[in-house]
Amino acid sequence: MISAYILITMLPGKTDKAIKDMRQLNNVAKISIIAGEYDIVVRAQVKNLEELLNVTDKIQMIEGVTKTTTQIIEKEISLQ
Amino acid sequence: MIIRKKYLFYVLAITSSFIAAAVTGIDSFVGGQSAFKYDPWAFAFSLFFVGAIVTLIISLVLTVKIKGKSLGAKILDPSFRQLRLIKKSETKYHLVAGLMNAINTVGYCAIVSTIQDPSVILSFSQIVILYLLLMESITEKDVPTLVEVQSSVIVTFGAILASISLTGQFQLFPILIVFIVVNPTWAVFSIYQRKLKLMKINNKPNDSINIRFWNVVFSCLFTVILLFIFDLFTSGGHLIAGITAVINPFYFLLLALTMSTTFFSYVLYIRSLGMGKASVNNAIRASTIIFAIPFSILLLHLGIITEFSTDPVMLIIKVIGMILIVLGIISFALTVVKAYIFVTVKPGRPLRETMQKLWNVRGVTHVTITTGKHDFIVKVSTRTLVKGYERIIRKLDEIDEIKKYHWESVLKDWEKI
Repeated sequence: MISAYILITMLPGKTDKAIKDMRQLNNVAKISIIAGEYDIVVRAQVKNLEELLNVTDKIQMIEGVTKTTTQIIEKEISLQ
Repeated sequence: MIIRKKYLFYVLAITSSFIAAAVTGIDSFVGGQSAFKYDPWAFAFSLFFVGAIVTLIISLVLTVKIKGKSLGAKILDPSFRQLRLIKKSETKYHLVAGLMNAINTVGYCAIVSTIQDPSVILSFSQIVILYLLLMESITEKDVPTLVEVQSSVIVTFGAILASISLTGQFQLFPILIVFIVVNPTWAVFSIYQRKLKLMKINNKPNDSINIRFWNVVFSCLFTVILLFIFDLFTSGGHLIAGITAVINPFYFLLLALTMSTTFFSYVLYIRSLGMGKASVNNAIRASTIIFAIPFSILLLHLGIITEFSTDPVMLIIKVIGMILIVLGIISFALTVVKAYIFVTVKPGRPLRETMQKLWNVRGVTHVTITTGKHDFIVKVSTRTLVKGYERIIRKLDEIDEIKKYHWESVLKDWEKI
C-alpha cells in the first residue's frame, strides 16, 4: 500500500464544490482544508503508483484546482 | 464514505455510553438475583465466564465475509478482518488491561449488588476523568491543557450532580469502592486499551473486536485466579457459587444478554479510544448519566427499583448536572487546533534521527518522511495557538537539522470511516 499527500492550490471561491467532488473519490482517505501556501491537503491510499496517477489526474480535473504537489510517504510514525 | 472525523468520534463515544447505560440497567436486574445479590465475586466470575463464550460467538459471526469484507468491518470496525491470536507485542498490554478489568468488575459487581438504581451506581465513577488526566500527563505525549482540565472538571461535577440519588441518599460503602477500586482500575484499563488500539498489527491498525475478545478472555482468567486465591485464604465458596450460577439456564441467559450488550458498548468505546485521548473519551461517556435516567424510570415501572423522588429540588439539581455535562463536552469539541507543518531539512542530515526528534515534540500526532518538495509533513494537534507556539514552534526552532518550515492551520477536515 502506498500513501501520499496531495497538496492542492485552488482558485478562490471553488473550494466547497471541489471538496464535494474529492469526497467521492475512491482512494482518498483524508481531506483537510488548510490556511497558507496550500488550500487543501488530500491523503491518498493506493495499491501502486498507477493508481496514484489516477487519483492525481482526477483531482486535477476538478474545477478550481490550479496546482497539485504530490508527496509520497516513505516512512511514518503516528499516534492513530 | 468520508465524514468529519470529530463527528465519528462523538457518535462512537455517545453510542457506546448509551449502550453502557442499558447494560447498567440490565446488570442491576441481574445483580439483584438471589445467586449474585450477596456474592459480587461469583457475579464477576459468571459475567466473564459467560462473557467469554458470548464474545467468542459474536466475534465468529462478525468474521463471516460478505462481498470480501467481514461483517464486523462493515458494521463495527473497518480494521477488523477476523478473530486472531494475539501478537507478542500485545501481550503485556492485554495482561495489564485484563487484570484491571477483572478487579474493576468485582468492584462494580459489589456496587450493583448493593444498590439497584443505575443512575446512582454510575455517579462518582465519572471522577475517573481526573485520574485519567493525571495519568495521561505522565504516559502520553500531550500534557492536559487548562481547557481540558476545566472541561473535565465541569463534566465531572455535572455528572455528580446529575447522578445524585433519586432518593437523595448518600451511601458511603459504594462510594469508597468507586474511589479505591473502580476508578483507578478503569483509568489504567482505558489507557492500556488505547495503547492496544493505537498499535499496528501487520502494518494495519489494530481492531477493537479482537481487543475486546482477548480482554474478556484475560479478565476471565484473572478473575478465576483472584477468586481461587481469595477462596483459598478465606475458605469461601465464591468460585463454586459462580460455576453453579452459570449452569442455571435462566442465569446463563441473563448473563449472556448483559455481556452481549456490553460487547457492543466496549467495541465502540475501544474504537473511539483510538481516535481521542482516554480522558476526553470518558468525559463524553459521562453522558451515560443522562441516558441512565430513562433506564432507572423503566426499572421503576418494572418494579425492580421501588423508590423514585419527584422532589423539585432534586430534579433541578439533576437538570443542572446534565447542562454542565453537555457544556463540558461542547467545550472539549470546540477547542482543538490542528495544523500541518511542512519541513525541509539541511542537505546531508540524517532523516531518521530528525524524524525521531520531530516525533518527540509534544503535540505531534503524525510524522511522515516524504519525497518531493518537503522532506517531512508533520501533523500537530494542540488546544490553543499560543500553546502551539510555546510547545511546538519553539521546539522546532531547537532542531538544528531543520532548514525551514511553515505552519498551515487546518480549518476543517474529513476522514474515511
